[in-house]
Amino acid sequence: MKEGFLIEQERLEHEAAASLKSSGLINDIIRYFRKKSIFVLAYGTGCGAIEMPPTFTSRYDAERFGIRGAATPRQADVIVVSGYLSFKTLRRIIHTYEQMASPKYVIALGSCTINGGMYWDSYNTIKQLDKYIPVDMYANGCMPRPEALLEAFIALQKKIENDEEPSGWERYLENIEWYRQNQRAVLGEDIKPAYEADWYTEGR
Amino acid sequence: MTILTIMGQGMAVLLFAYVAGMLYYGLYRNITARFQKRIGPPVLQTFYDSMKLLFKDEATAFGWMFYLGPVIMATGSVLTLLLLPFLRVWHEGSLSVYGDLFVILYLMVMGPLGNALAVGVSGNPFGVMGVTRGLTRLMGLELPFYIAVIGVMSVAQSSDIWHIIAWQQIHGINMIHYPLLFIAALFSFVGFMGSSPFDVVAAPQEVYSGPRSEFSGKFLGLLMSQNAIFGFAKLLLMVDLFWGGADSIVELILKTFTLFLVTIVIGVVYGRFKVHQAVDFLVKFPTLLGVVGLLLL
Amino acid sequence: MNILASLQPQLCDKFETQAFDLKRDDLAQVIVEKKIWRAVMDYLKEEAGFVTLLTITCTDWIEEERFELNYIFAHETKRCDLMLSFSIARDGESVQTLTDRWPQAEVMERDLHEMFGIVFEGHPNLASFALENWHHTPPLRREFDTLAFVNEHFEFRKGREENVDVKAEAKRLRALKKAKAQAEAEAKKEKGADDADE
Repeated sequence: MKEGFLIEQERLEHEAAASLKSSGLINDIIRYFRKKSIFVLAYGTGCGAIEMPPTFTSRYDAERFGIRGAATPRQADVIVVSGYLSFKTLRRIIHTYEQMASPKYVIALGSCTINGGMYWDSYNTIKQLDKYIPVDMYANGCMPRPEALLEAFIALQKKIENDEEPSGWERYLENIEWYRQNQRAVLGEDIKPAYEADWYTEGR
Repeated sequence: MTILTIMGQGMAVLLFAYVAGMLYYGLYRNITARFQKRIGPPVLQTFYDSMKLLFKDEATAFGWMFYLGPVIMATGSVLTLLLLPFLRVWHEGSLSVYGDLFVILYLMVMGPLGNALAVGVSGNPFGVMGVTRGLTRLMGLELPFYIAVIGVMSVAQSSDIWHIIAWQQIHGINMIHYPLLFIAALFSFVGFMGSSPFDVVAAPQEVYSGPRSEFSGKFLGLLMSQNAIFGFAKLLLMVDLFWGGADSIVELILKTFTLFLVTIVIGVVYGRFKVHQAVDFLVKFPTLLGVVGLLLL
Repeated sequence: MNILASLQPQLCDKFETQAFDLKRDDLAQVIVEKKIWRAVMDYLKEEAGFVTLLTITCTDWIEEERFELNYIFAHETKRCDLMLSFSIARDGESVQTLTDRWPQAEVMERDLHEMFGIVFEGHPNLASFALENWHHTPPLRREFDTLAFVNEHFEFRKGREENVDVKAEAKRLRALKKAKAQAEAEAKKEKGADDADE
């Protein structure tokens, strides 16, 4: 079984990544579809998770922009990292991000993902998210309200449509060694989380 | 009747079903949003979603059996659609003269079973859980539906859908003559359409979209597209069996959309059953109605 | 009758308690020697009715070279809590596990082991709990310098290049606004004078 990162690694080796990005009418149409339909994986790491439900339900109704929740990482286009990240959560975030299918985008929510926020002197949270996974859009604030989150989504849609700079997943593929190095610096050598079911009952 | 007419008509039917199914499911989301005091997505949203997914990469590689699942599912849907009478005037040159009700009922189950095989290959526990839920629900769904179908067949003295439509042309539509059978079939139909309260298979909050949880990119897009076609095929089956088919496209759209509206409203109003509640309900009331309907034939 | 107040003479008769501190009507602290804490705890559970273990906490008295372990219990029927405290040496002294009496102590003791480095004898699994791959000093010990750790392991994002002093900028903006308003008012005045002339 091959999944996520391995497939991308293979593609990087074959240098097919460059051919994915090209202009033309068909690419414009594809980008239009990508812009109009965004499946969101809401990863509730911190307090920002509570801003997500109002964004997607009746009050702010993100679905009118084509933004809806996805059930699994495999189906998602955007992962919303909502708030501070401890080492343990970062490990899961990286694994989740690598399981998503390209093209994929990251929206980072709150000051904590930008510069540590109120956890700037905490021994267990990372300070800059974009050293570990590529971030496409930041919504700053502590916490940003659903309006700010919606604005981030709309800015992301514009970015997808204009395609002016390499998006996050392309940067991740190009600079994978740099990202891996940063990840190893905080997480140790075994990047992939070991999903043993007996992590809790071990030795009982 | 040449092979060309059959193919041409088949393609036309397929295209119509795809467009209509996409629009219907788009309207489903829009109308649901209006019920919840939201503005809701544009009507073409389902189309956008499926097209975007078709141009996405896959995140998984489990081997050929896994890839075959959505294809089997799509095959089942397309065959179901092509073997159903589309318009009454299109009797000549239609593939549907070859199939009868038994084939249709078999094909309707074939797709999900093929998909179940693929889900089993992926080994995702939520996928397997979704498949198990689906099979459990299927037992409940099929009982009232088959009772209603047996009733309809025994009245028309044929398992050919064209004969059933012809019988209704002469005597009036089945829904008015045998309302109990219709209601029994309607309950199952709401379940087959995968909307609340019988949407236990792909419950996103419980089993993380169930059988679909491991599919990404093109396969998910294919599943969404075939879902639109399959949804229209199921609407067509109900219209053919109980509402006497349709003569023109307008009549067909009116009839199928009315039926679809019923499922939308039921889905909006009721929450999701648990698995055992769904099966209990389906085995009790619709089956009872169907049996009474059979006795009153 | 207050159950904690009535418990005090019984407990002090039976065991050598160092202190019985009735903090509130429904909260008391018992401080004992380390060698008798299991016996006191058994008495509390079996005889006195404190059947629920709420939590285990640890206080780091770095000046006195000791950890104080606090086991907080809740009463079976009455609404009152009791805290059983005893001290251990900061380094090298281990404590017997409580998982044989209360299974939920497993998580609490794992947490303490991770955060303070206290070893619990007989604990089934002292693997890492909230921290993964932590090879540094246990972070809640007071000799652990959080700020130094952060400065050593993380780098902070620099501020924006167009970053300006907020107070000075606000002052400048206010002055600008004032000048603009003044200019507008003068222009209006002149215009009004012109109108009057006409």
